[in-house]
Amino acid sequence: MRESGGKEILLWLIRLRQRYRVRGTSMLPLLGADDEVLVDLRAYHRQPPRIGDIVIASHPTQAGLQVIKRIKRIHEDGLIHLQGDNPDPAQNSPSLVPARLILGRVTSLFAPAA
Amino acid sequence: MKLLTRTMHKFFPAQMTVSAHCDGPCGVYDPASARIAAEAALSMTKKILALDPNDRSHAAANTLARFISIKEEQAQLAKTDLLVLWTDYFKPPHLEQYPDLHDTFWKAAKLCSAVKVEVSLEKAEELMKAINKIHSIFWATKGREVPYYTAS
Repeated sequence: MRESGGKEILLWLIRLRQRYRVRGTSMLPLLGADDEVLVDLRAYHRQPPRIGDIVIASHPTQAGLQVIKRIKRIHEDGLIHLQGDNPDPAQNSPSLVPARLILGRVTSLFAPAA
Repeated sequence: MKLLTRTMHKFFPAQMTVSAHCDGPCGVYDPASARIAAEAALSMTKKILALDPNDRSHAAANTLARFISIKEEQAQLAKTDLLVLWTDYFKPPHLEQYPDLHDTFWKAAKLCSAVKVEVSLEKAEELMKAINKIHSIFWATKGREVPYYTAS
């Protein structure tokens, strides 16, 4: 994932990008714990989610919990199959969420963990 | 630019967090949520079938529309609950223990769709049987004996 450049930082400064800190390891090797990313919360107002997008989504059964995962499949009935990048199955399991729970698209790596 | 972002990260870390855990940290799963939704869809199927098809009043049309709406909503809810259980709770070792796990969930999810789009008492009752089976498998993986029951 590319690091935030001038345009991304500008969009963040004018609040068109939000900063999020990652917890957990299911997105390794791309994103690790305490990495920070920028997220476009309006991305899917303009176009539908696409396979391969890294997104943040509300957890389907746990109120208040937001997850970061990659879109693996988009089903005809509106359910979206999300999965982390971590190849270790013990660290990763797929989720199916309705499209309305997808909150935004991750656009760049703001800063890696120190 | 990197100096700016790394300084922000170090001294002013982002307040909002997103979880990249394998699933949610609470680990609370229970097929009961799917059973309640499927039971509601079964109940609405029975109510629809009990309506008089010759009654063409506005009140009857309104009642039928409401029953159909609730049946479809509850069948979809049952499907979502089952799919979350299937994909988030069950892990590869469970599949070794129950080789027909995928087939069981796949058929149950298909039954949810059938109950949603049809008015089939047979499919609604089959769905309840499938959820009963999932209930048994689920609690067996936890080493607990939890009796299956229905609300009606």
